[in-house]
Amino acid sequence: MNKRSSAVGSVFRAERRKLMAQVPVRVLALACVLGPFAFAAVLKLQNGVPADTLFGVWVHSSGFAIALVVLGFGGSWGFPVIAGVLAGDLFSSEDRHGTWKSVLTRSALREDVFAGKALAAGAFATALLALAAVSSLLAGLLLTGAHPLVGLSGTQLSVGRALGLTLVSWLVSLLPMLAFTSMAMLFSVATRNGIIGVLGPVLVALAMQLLALIGSGSWVHLLLVASAFDDWHGLLSGHPFFGPLIVGSIVSVAWAAACLGGAWLLLRRRDFAGTPVVRRHGWVLPLRTVLGSAAVIAVLAAAVNLGPAGVTEHKLESSIAPAFNDLTILQQRELARTVPPGAKLKLLTSCKRRAGASRGPGDDWTCTLDVFIPQPGANPFQETPVTYDMSVRSNGCYKAEAPPSFVGQQLMRDGRGHNVVNPLFTIYGCFDIT
Amino acid sequence: MPAAAVNARGLVKRFETTTALDDVDLTVNPGEVHGLLGPNGAGKTTLLRLLFGLIAPDAGSIELPDRDHLAGFVESPTFYPYLSARANLELLAELDRGSAAERVEDVLVRVGLGDRADQRVSGYSTGMLQRLGIAGALLRAPQLLLLDEPTAGLDPAGVRDVRALVAELAGEGVAVLLCSHQIDEVEEACDSFTMLREGVVVWSGSAAELRAAAPASAYRLMTSDDTRARELLAQHPQIRGGDEAAGELQIEAGDRALEQYVLALGAAGIAVRRLELLRPLEAMYFALTGAA
Repeated sequence: MNKRSSAVGSVFRAERRKLMAQVPVRVLALACVLGPFAFAAVLKLQNGVPADTLFGVWVHSSGFAIALVVLGFGGSWGFPVIAGVLAGDLFSSEDRHGTWKSVLTRSALREDVFAGKALAAGAFATALLALAAVSSLLAGLLLTGAHPLVGLSGTQLSVGRALGLTLVSWLVSLLPMLAFTSMAMLFSVATRNGIIGVLGPVLVALAMQLLALIGSGSWVHLLLVASAFDDWHGLLSGHPFFGPLIVGSIVSVAWAAACLGGAWLLLRRRDFAGTPVVRRHGWVLPLRTVLGSAAVIAVLAAAVNLGPAGVTEHKLESSIAPAFNDLTILQQRELARTVPPGAKLKLLTSCKRRAGASRGPGDDWTCTLDVFIPQPGANPFQETPVTYDMSVRSNGCYKAEAPPSFVGQQLMRDGRGHNVVNPLFTIYGCFDIT
Repeated sequence: MPAAAVNARGLVKRFETTTALDDVDLTVNPGEVHGLLGPNGAGKTTLLRLLFGLIAPDAGSIELPDRDHLAGFVESPTFYPYLSARANLELLAELDRGSAAERVEDVLVRVGLGDRADQRVSGYSTGMLQRLGIAGALLRAPQLLLLDEPTAGLDPAGVRDVRALVAELAGEGVAVLLCSHQIDEVEEACDSFTMLREGVVVWSGSAAELRAAAPASAYRLMTSDDTRARELLAQHPQIRGGDEAAGELQIEAGDRALEQYVLALGAAGIAVRRLELLRPLEAMYFALTGAA
């Protein structure tokens, strides 16, 4: 091992030791281990389901759904919080404790210190993600059971396939997680303020989620690193799609590289001349941060319509129709009705928005499925329209709800007399926006 | 003669509009204890930070031993408050690639913290932190030791121990740069000195050169009315100085002139509360830096 890698390794081990001694990091680790079990236990004790979340309706049916619901929560706010707590104070704590001079007067050079800290943050972020993944999977399997999972287009996934896809889904969240960890490091170096370092990634994630709600263009939405937390959705579709996953991985790597590069440039240029010399006026930094952030958000908000529309009526129609077909078959099988292999509904699908052009995310989409049901006396079929109210997100995922008059109530009795989820009551699906 | 442990030439450091160091030269040889003196804002800490590589000079050059053989601290030593003293030292040893891990216990005992080693540093007094800072420096086998006010906050026994330690290390060939406001401490411990004033070296040389150059008879005078005592100096042209600060006057005078001045003070109804002959370094310091 050469001298440089040895120095980086030394800093890594020192940072690992410091992080393990910090109460917030221990609390995070505990939350990653116990949180999924607590979540699964609460679900077990009550009849309700987190119906607004992908796979939420299936949490009582398959343990894998619990792991995926936890993953969905994590991507919304949990992972940015973990990244902020882990790395947001990694550099600023040296300022707060005045320990830069202790660190930088040892054998390790400034670049070794930076690399060692970055490695430690990345390793801890990976470890916490892995902890949460294993814990949520175990919680789901122990408290709900290893049952087949209904995928995002209504197809049923075997236990083995569901397990593999669940693990891969958690794995692909690692890249955006590392991007947010790098972002927290940049905040920490740039502001020298632990509070901004910890809260910064969370606020950025929130801003990105708000930006994802507006505009119909796909370019800005794809460039938002928070969107990459949703990229696993494509894996769980009946016909998996990888476009968002590839773009999200590239975007995550680019964000991580830009944040790490920026942080290193700031640290390399910094004079550790003592507090009195470098202290800036208390209001300057927060004001600059707020103004800079507002400017960036304004520019992105102005650009959200750029690029091809990710959500279109055609894509929605192409997704909801097979999902409805598969879920109808699933429903009929659960009701112990005979469905011949390869059975397929004859459907005519039409999606549109109630207002404006039929493209872009929104809660005002409706999809009408004209189901042609063979009935005695009808020639050739009886046409039955089913209209779903659709809530479509910019990441291509949607929630479709229909009136119980056609599809029945949320819970139904299966062929064995058990209460089970009615697959058609709420349909979740995702399509490729790239 | 072996190569100097510190060989700095023409160092310049500016902070925005302030010139903290201006064309500063500094040489410290192996086995030498070199005192760095100057009033607040003279540039001592900036010079130490430059030597540690914490800041970069705007001009000039610095030759130092290999980074692994440079130890010490600048301003007060700092540690992670949520870790114990032992854990902090183990961390520092780790940052030195773990080479000194086995010395942690020894240095803790050496600085008198053996029985408090597992206590969190957040509960340490200033003196204990100072001891821990010295322990951190001793973890390495330094060729150059940079100490900034190493006895600040220490009890008398601690001060004695640090002085003995510095002498011991110098005896082993370690070059020591000692930055302190305690002039008597520096005078006792150091073989050579550099004095800074407003970022400029105003004097540099060995202890012998200092004694030769120092004013022969400089005094610190405290009276019941320093303002009038200073006015009286105008009638005694043989007496130089008269800088007034912190309730005392520094003057330079021969025996006869001093006697006449003291008698004149008495005649004017001004009581002499204290008259103290300054030591050579102290006299030189006040003369060159204008500080009290």
